[in-house]
Amino acid sequence: MNQQAMSPRRRGLMLGAAATGLAALTQPLAVLAQDASEIVIGGSIPMTGVFAFAGVGINDGIQDYVKIINDAGGIKGRKVKYVPEDTAYKVDVSVAAFKKITSQNKVNVYYGDSTGFAKTINPELERNGNILMAGASFASELNDPKKYPHQFLVGPDYTEMFGILLKHIAKEKPGAKVAFVYSDSEFGRDPIEKSEAAAKQLGLTVAIKIMTAAGSVDVSGEVIKLRRAAPDYTIFHGYILAPIPEFITQGKQQGMKSKWMGTFWTMDSSTVMKMGADGDGFMGVMPYRYYYDTEAAPMLEKIRAMRPEYQSTAYTQGMLAAMLFLESVKRCLDAGKPLTGDAMKAALNSLKDFDTGGLIGVPISIPGNSIPVGRVYKADMKAQKMVPASDWIKL
Amino acid sequence: MRIGTLKESYVADAALFDSRTQHVWLAIAAAALLLFPFMANDYWLYMACLVAINIASSAGLNILTGYTGLVSLGQAAFMGLGAYTVAILQLRWGTPLALNLLAAGVVAMLGGLIVGVPSLRVKGLYLAIVTIAATFIAHFLFANFDFTGGTSGLSMRPARVFGTDLDTSFRLYWLIVPVTVLMLLGAANLFRTRIGRAFIAIRDRDISAEVLGIALLKYKLLSFGLSSFYAGVAGGLFAYFFRVITPESFPLSMSIFFLAAIIVGGMGSTLGSILGAAFMTMVPELLKLVFDLLPGGADLTVFLAPVRLVIFGALIIVFLVFEPLGLAEMWRRTRRFFHLWPFKN
Amino acid sequence: MDMDWGYLFEVSLTSVMGGGLYALAGLAFVMVYKATRVVNLAIGEMLMAGSYLFFTFAAMWALPLWLAIPAAVLASGVLGAVIERTMIRPLLGEPPISAFMVTIGLGSVLVGLVEMIWSADQRRLPDFLPTQAITVGDAFLAPKIFWGAVIASVFITAVLLVFRYWRGGVALRATASDQAAAYAVGINVPRVFSLSWVVSAMLAAVSGIIVGSIGGISSSMGVFGLTVLVVVIVGGLDSVLGALVAGLLVGLVEGLAGAYLGGEYKLLATFIVLVFILMVRPYGLFGTREIERL
Repeated sequence: MNQQAMSPRRRGLMLGAAATGLAALTQPLAVLAQDASEIVIGGSIPMTGVFAFAGVGINDGIQDYVKIINDAGGIKGRKVKYVPEDTAYKVDVSVAAFKKITSQNKVNVYYGDSTGFAKTINPELERNGNILMAGASFASELNDPKKYPHQFLVGPDYTEMFGILLKHIAKEKPGAKVAFVYSDSEFGRDPIEKSEAAAKQLGLTVAIKIMTAAGSVDVSGEVIKLRRAAPDYTIFHGYILAPIPEFITQGKQQGMKSKWMGTFWTMDSSTVMKMGADGDGFMGVMPYRYYYDTEAAPMLEKIRAMRPEYQSTAYTQGMLAAMLFLESVKRCLDAGKPLTGDAMKAALNSLKDFDTGGLIGVPISIPGNSIPVGRVYKADMKAQKMVPASDWIKL
Repeated sequence: MRIGTLKESYVADAALFDSRTQHVWLAIAAAALLLFPFMANDYWLYMACLVAINIASSAGLNILTGYTGLVSLGQAAFMGLGAYTVAILQLRWGTPLALNLLAAGVVAMLGGLIVGVPSLRVKGLYLAIVTIAATFIAHFLFANFDFTGGTSGLSMRPARVFGTDLDTSFRLYWLIVPVTVLMLLGAANLFRTRIGRAFIAIRDRDISAEVLGIALLKYKLLSFGLSSFYAGVAGGLFAYFFRVITPESFPLSMSIFFLAAIIVGGMGSTLGSILGAAFMTMVPELLKLVFDLLPGGADLTVFLAPVRLVIFGALIIVFLVFEPLGLAEMWRRTRRFFHLWPFKN
Repeated sequence: MDMDWGYLFEVSLTSVMGGGLYALAGLAFVMVYKATRVVNLAIGEMLMAGSYLFFTFAAMWALPLWLAIPAAVLASGVLGAVIERTMIRPLLGEPPISAFMVTIGLGSVLVGLVEMIWSADQRRLPDFLPTQAITVGDAFLAPKIFWGAVIASVFITAVLLVFRYWRGGVALRATASDQAAAYAVGINVPRVFSLSWVVSAMLAAVSGIIVGSIGGISSSMGVFGLTVLVVVIVGGLDSVLGALVAGLLVGLVEGLAGAYLGGEYKLLATFIVLVFILMVRPYGLFGTREIERL
């Protein structure tokens, strides 16, 4: 009976509490604390998780470039604001970050962290219509302006990376036998089919294709397979580091004479140096200059002045992404166009022989969704540096 | 048990919601669910949809693990089956949404039955390991068949209902939340029937249950089937929600997430599925808020993902050791406290 | 099809040798199961913890090898004791499912701790195994695999001897066969529980160090534990002999699947073996058949 008397008041109290809670929930996020003239770079950045080694660099790269621009007075007097959010390299978290950032800011350009995210968010980008996006993915699938009209890749796609390597091989040793070793993942399988055809066109033979299980530790069986195919060149793709060193070490122990090659995410200086003595001479494709390159490059000098210690190629990637973002925005503003996804992409595509300040060694043009330029670098373990092994190769 | 509610018939005693207070609360909850989309921004709507999908799948796992006592680490794989079913049906034949979701449930259920067949021979933990095997076999199939789009998966158009594209979180909310509520009502009602009670008997002691005349194999399979049906429908919602599905969308860690959700929420309780899934989905976001408030939070973000993993694991351990009945039990205790106050409960 | 016997032999040799590591890790698993009936799903993560401890001692603190290895193994033993005392002991008498799920949580905690302390980056352990290539006839055998297998078999033999003759080992076997009777004859059963976790963690650390020195270490190397799980189930959860035989068998199956079908079939093949064995012999090749009474 007591309960009957008590409950309405208690109910009322609880209701009040619940309502306050709900209000508190929606309140702070509904506020748009933003200066309307700001240019906003949003970012789903993998600062933690398996991709953290790159994410941290990417974050610094974007941040530094934004600082350079803002210190110089912004873009046509408009300040640039960078709003990153950690994603731990998970697609659903990354989408949540996108939703959060876009509902709190009027985002103009966005940096995405993975292929999965780029594909998932694409319909949202098209619906939104006011965002230009690039990211950490070089997936060949994204290199399609029809399907991904508001996105671009900050370098060659994976198939183009293979193309650059194969072109180099065909020049160095015509008719060579190449082997592809790749991981059983979307990332790993990406360029294989098309690159096989490309190799044939260049007069190379693909001696063997080996797909390794994701996360497998023991690759001795695969090394035996590889040795029996006796390739002149072995290209690894879909890995960061492991199991590449193991392939090289065991391959050399078994007397293999192959040259070893990798693609972008393996090619950071600090990653290659972890391969130890056996990694000497490891080659790979790199669309950017390394931090310590000595050829004249005003941007690199600026970076070295800002950050005296080595910066990864992921840093350069982030910086270049920010540079291309803001260049597109600037061209739009110069032409007096509104900052829509279409206009910014058109501005990006209008880049012709654009000078990146030496981040990329040659002037670039972006006719489609990618920048099909790169150079083959080679590990010099004595100097603990990557040194150029070819000229800049354009596809 | 609530005091002060007099029951005059068995029907009233077995009712799902048995007191006026509960009815009022339900009405409030329903009103909140109806009003929420108009008050929240896009981010909160997105989270609400995600929470609802996770609740649906957790409710399914709770039927199997919480009520029948069979541990499964294959919930993500069954969700994958459902998601791929929806995507393939929509891309190939353009069949309507309701049919696709139903088909997703049925296909996942068939998958569940196949995986459940070894329960004919093996029990308990062996079965859990069969479900791990199922996860990897499913991943292999998704990644290597042509009609599942290989490793790059499938991309779908938004669902079209009554001439509207369900392409924003706001619109999807009206699909996902009602379906989830329906599924929860179904789950809660299940345990008022013979089938549900048979499940509980099997959980408490399967041999005794058999002696009581419960056909073990039939009911275990049924439990597997129902649980995967839930996962399949949840997977279908997942597909409509993200519209891109790849083999890597349904990893083993996702199954562990659902297991963690029901452990934390409360095994053998529908309320537990809701609380657990909602709580565990929000943990990463809450952590982000906490990290933002901490001094020097920016430097600490590096630790965000590992801290999340540690907290995930620690929650599983702490709840199993100290509060095996989960948040639902804590909720009940709190309620009892207010209910009996100022007397000691 | 033309059969290349040399290739078959070479691949089989490598895979069986590689299977030695599964056997050792399987042994670590069986140790715990036999004594405490806990299915330890975190076995892969315990391997990882051991290898990271070794990494810390050998690469970061630059201790000499003869000090770094025992230190890592001992530290892992302590970790095992802590796990048993704080997470497993409180669940004594609860249904086995609870402890099983606790180990799932444990796995997640260990991965998180490793990423927190050492970050998620892949790392390489210092090379300490001989690098002289080994040939059997025409067949090459990677030295790391060979020496890994040698170390694994040394440890397996040592463990078997210890359990045959040492008092603690006898106590463990007694507890495994009948807990109540073990209590009755004055065996301190809770201590046996602790002991089994300590030994298991130490064995896991040894296999972790070898696995890590072969393939490098990362926070995702717990995947290795999945194959170990297959091994112990195929062998029979409570059978030491089973773990050894199944370790080699699974190693072989995996190697052959990888060689003749492709890398994507490796895990699939082992799991198919698992399902097949469960259907044919639910308690594994050498496991004890449990009889249930009311």
